[in-house]
Amino acid sequence: MSTSGKVIVITSGKGGVGKTTTSANLGMALASMGKKVVLVDADFGLRNLDLLLGLENRVVYTILDTLSENENDRCRLDQALIKDKRQPNLALLPAAQTRDKSAITPEQMKKVTAELTESYDYVLVDCPAGIEQGFKNAIAGASEAIVVTTPEVSAVRDADRVIGLMEASGLKHPRLILNRLRPQMVEENNMMSVEDVLDILAIKLLGVVPEDEQVIITTNRGEPMVLSATPTQAAQAFLNIARRIEGEEVPFLSLQVPDSGFMGRLKALFRRR
Amino acid sequence: MLTASSVHQVIFKGSPEGLRLYLPEDTAFDEVLLQLQQRIDAGERLWSGGGKVSLECGQRLLDGAQIQSIQELLQSHQLRLTQVSTTRHQTAVAAAVAGLSVDRDLQERQPVTSPDTPVVEEPLYLQQTIRSGVQIVHNGTIVVLGDVNPGGELLAQGDILVWGSLRGTAHAGTKGNENALIMALNLAPMQLRIAKFVARAPEDSPAPGQAEVAYISDGNIRIALLSEFGRRR
Repeated sequence: MSTSGKVIVITSGKGGVGKTTTSANLGMALASMGKKVVLVDADFGLRNLDLLLGLENRVVYTILDTLSENENDRCRLDQALIKDKRQPNLALLPAAQTRDKSAITPEQMKKVTAELTESYDYVLVDCPAGIEQGFKNAIAGASEAIVVTTPEVSAVRDADRVIGLMEASGLKHPRLILNRLRPQMVEENNMMSVEDVLDILAIKLLGVVPEDEQVIITTNRGEPMVLSATPTQAAQAFLNIARRIEGEEVPFLSLQVPDSGFMGRLKALFRRR
Repeated sequence: MLTASSVHQVIFKGSPEGLRLYLPEDTAFDEVLLQLQQRIDAGERLWSGGGKVSLECGQRLLDGAQIQSIQELLQSHQLRLTQVSTTRHQTAVAAAVAGLSVDRDLQERQPVTSPDTPVVEEPLYLQQTIRSGVQIVHNGTIVVLGDVNPGGELLAQGDILVWGSLRGTAHAGTKGNENALIMALNLAPMQLRIAKFVARAPEDSPAPGQAEVAYISDGNIRIALLSEFGRRR
């Protein structure tokens, strides 16, 4: 029986839908459950994962330094890994900021992620936006995929493209995280619902994360929101997703708009028409 | 008659000896592998296991590594590459080295029909969701058991039947046949084209769940409920 870890790529096609936020929070959540997790930032040139984890000051070596052809410049994989001081089960393998997506090949990515599975339960690869070289590099070593999208036609269209590309390269059965949902807007018919998105993408739903201001605040602070002692609904959603990844059956959060008090109930009466 | 030079995309065709896999001549190899994976996924249910596959390359150059990639892809679906047909010496050598039997035509077999009559192939049957960015081109009718998502395109010389939701673009009668039809269980396309006519879906469409057919009448594309269309004919 193999005890080596899983390589999961977190991708979307569209930029800005929450891949890096998802990677950071899922990584931290899985680590808090006792799993050994390494986050691999595959966004060369525009790296963000180190910022969201608050580890940017500690980046010395990047993934490129472990692959350097020049023996003097090359470092060991464990030298490049940054261990999170808050959560020792979590490590980050940073991307290079001064190079771009052409600096690494899919074969090299495969080799690095394979080596990481020997010491980690989960290797989460944060994929860059787009479908070009960066995307191809990121999916190279992955055995599973998580597609992140927001409930907007453009994001869903791009997610569909990415799912098709992955299916064609053998990375089948990706699972979906629907991010930045606004239940109020869905109720007012101004935003796509979970069903609308699933109707088009037709993949298994891993979780739904509601829109949350805390994402901005925690990103700026470099503290993934799942670390909070009082997790918001969005943070709770990430925690539940981590449990589902581990195989647990967790019911989906009810994201109804809380109607408290008399005015709330009155409004609800009118809304139901 | 189907020749390698007449295919624009990867095509599987049944024959008494097994499956024939036609590769388009001008497409980049990465794209060929992508299409091959899509076609295998979409058609898998209809093939029995242990299928023998003969590769028709025509003028296309293939090296040892490329032949091996194709072999591996087929193997992962219980299909066996047994023969390569080619007009090129290099390809023949690469195939021989890979241990495959080679059928070498010094010049390609000429089609029996004249070049002007369009070659109509058997219907292309795809069991999958056609996702955004995927384009399917076929010299015959296309049948999709699944949805066609926005951004997906079907180009058929014959009819187009979508046993699901058609939300992408469908072009039937690509070689000029104005009698071609486009049918779907849920017709909600980005664009419909029949022969040289183009149309968008109307703003007021009937409730979903009603199968509809698009056809040409009086120089326009019209849409009718499938049940009514049957009576009209």
